[in-house]
Amino acid sequence: MTTQGLRRLSVGQRLFVLAVLAFTVGPFAPLLIQSFAFRWAWPDLMPSVWWFEQRQISPFPLAWDYVLSPTSQVLEATINTVGIGVAVMVVCLIICLPAARVLARGHFRGKRRLEFVFSLPLLVPEAAIGIALLMIFIGLGISGTYPGVIAVHLIPTVPYMLRMLTSVYQGLDAGYEDCGRVLGANEWQVLTRITLPLLLPGVLAGALFTFLVSTNLFLLTFFIGQGKIVTLPTLLFSQISGGAMGATAAGIALIASIPGLILLVLSDRLIREEAFALGIGDT
Amino acid sequence: MTTSHRYSKTRTTFGLWQLIQLAPALLVVVGLFGGALALALLQSLGFAPWFGINEFPNPNYFLALWSEPDFWRSLWLTLYYGLASTVVGLVISVPLALTFERRFRGSKTLLALTRLPLMIPYTVGIALALLMLGNGGILSRLAAGLGLITDPGEFPRVLQTHWGWGVIAVYVWKQVPFMTLALLAVLMGIGQGTREAARILGASQVQVFWRITLPQLMPGVVSASLICFAFNVGAFEAPFILGGGHPETLPVLAWRYFNDANYTYQLQGMAVIVSLILVSGSILVGYLAIVRRFERVRGKAP
Repeated sequence: MTTQGLRRLSVGQRLFVLAVLAFTVGPFAPLLIQSFAFRWAWPDLMPSVWWFEQRQISPFPLAWDYVLSPTSQVLEATINTVGIGVAVMVVCLIICLPAARVLARGHFRGKRRLEFVFSLPLLVPEAAIGIALLMIFIGLGISGTYPGVIAVHLIPTVPYMLRMLTSVYQGLDAGYEDCGRVLGANEWQVLTRITLPLLLPGVLAGALFTFLVSTNLFLLTFFIGQGKIVTLPTLLFSQISGGAMGATAAGIALIASIPGLILLVLSDRLIREEAFALGIGDT
Repeated sequence: MTTSHRYSKTRTTFGLWQLIQLAPALLVVVGLFGGALALALLQSLGFAPWFGINEFPNPNYFLALWSEPDFWRSLWLTLYYGLASTVVGLVISVPLALTFERRFRGSKTLLALTRLPLMIPYTVGIALALLMLGNGGILSRLAAGLGLITDPGEFPRVLQTHWGWGVIAVYVWKQVPFMTLALLAVLMGIGQGTREAARILGASQVQVFWRITLPQLMPGVVSASLICFAFNVGAFEAPFILGGGHPETLPVLAWRYFNDANYTYQLQGMAVIVSLILVSGSILVGYLAIVRRFERVRGKAP
C-alpha cells in the first residue's frame, strides 16, 4: 500500500467496479437499441426488423419519427423541464444565499436545531408532502400552474442548496470582506466584488445540483401539475405506467436522460465531493 | 456539520436582520412543508370544511384504517422496500467508495460513469428495469442464449411480484451513486492516516475495516441511509409500475384513496399519509438514538 501515486486495483476490485458499471450504465445499451427497433422478439438479442426499414410503409409515425413529432409532447415536456429547472434554481439561490450566510456566520442559540429543521424535508416521504400540498394548492388555485410546480420543487431543493451554500460560506474568509470595507467599499460593492466572486464555484455547484434535482422530480410534479404541466419524467411515466416498453418509450427515456448526461460532464468539474457530506446524523 | 468558530467564540444575538435573511427559507420549510404536514394531520382527524366535513377531532379515520389488515400489509411492504433497498445500497456503496477513495488509472472517468444514475430520473430507471428484468427482457434473453431457459415463462418473475426485486433494483440503481458520493466525502474528510497506522501496527485488513474504517465512516453511513430510507418509504412510481398490485405501498394506497370518486376517502388517504409519516419518523428517530448510544459506548460522543 503506497500513499502516493496511482494505485493498482486487485482482480476482485476490478471485477467489482466492472459489475457496478454493468449495473449502472449497461442497461442504456439495450435502451438505445430498443429505441430503433420495430420488431424485437424473444429470445433475439438484436431486433429482427428495424424502425428505419418500416418507416416508409407505416401509415403513422414510428419510434423516433413519433418521438420527434409534435403529437408526442416531447418538445413541450423538454421546455417545461428545463424552464422549471432554471426557475427553481434561481428562486432557490435567492432564498438560500442570505439564509446560508446567517447559518454559516451567526452563532446563536438553537442554531443546530434550526439546521435540523431545515433538513427535515429530506426525511419526510415526498408522497406525503405531495398529496397534502395538492389540497392547499387547489385551495389557493395554483395547482396545475407553473408557480405551483416551482413552489413545490423548492421543498426538496432548499435543504440541499442550504447545506451546500452554508459549507461554501464557512470556507469563505470573512477577512476579505472586512478588508474591502476598511478600504472604503460599501456593502453592495463588498457583495458584488468580493463575496459573490469568491462564492461562485460553490454557488455554481449548488445551482447545478438544484437544477438536477428539479429535472429529476416526478412525484411532486405529477401531484401538483395535475397532468396539465408535462415534464420529461411525467411524460415517460405516462408512457410506461402500463408496464410495457416500446420504441417510443425508449426514445423518450433517452431524451429524459440528456439533461443528466450534460450535467454529468459539467459536474465532473464543478461539483465538489465535500459538499455532499450531509451530516444529518450529527445534528 | 459543525460550525466554524474561527472568528468569534462568543454567541452573537439573533436579531431582526438575521430573521429577515432566514425568512424566505423558513417560509418554504415551515410554511409550505410544515403547512402540508399540519393540513394532513388536521384533515386525517376530520377537518375538511371544503367538503362540508368538520368533526375535528375525530379519530375514526385512523381507527378504521388501522383495523384493516390490508393497511398493515401495505405498511410492511412499504417498510420492506425501504429497508431492503437501503441495506443493499449500502452493501454496494461502502466497498465502492473505498475502491474509489484513492486514484487509480481511469478512476475519475469510471467514478463519473458510476454517478450516471444520480443524474437521471427514477422514471428512466423504471424504464430500464422493464427492459432488463421483465420475462421477455434482456436478462431473460441472455439466459435463453446461454441455454438456461427455453421459454420466457421460465425466467424467474422479478417484476410485478411482492418480493419486489424489480422495485429494489431501481432504488439501488439510483441510490448507490448518491450513497457513494456521501461516503467518499466522509472518507476524504478523515484521510487515510489512522488506517495506515493500524496496518503498520499489525492489524489485518479485516480488523482495519471493522475497527477503524467502518466506525469512521458511520456519520456518512447514517446520513446517507437516513435520506435514502426516508425517500424509499415514500416510493410511489416504482411500486406503482413494477410492484405486484394489491396490497400496494402506502403512498400508492394514499393516492388511490385520494383519487376515489367518494371524497370522504380523501380523509382516509390523509390518515394513510399521517401514519406513514409517524412510522417512518419514529424509525428514523429510533435509528438516530441507536447510533448515538453506539457512539457513546465507543466513547466518541459525550
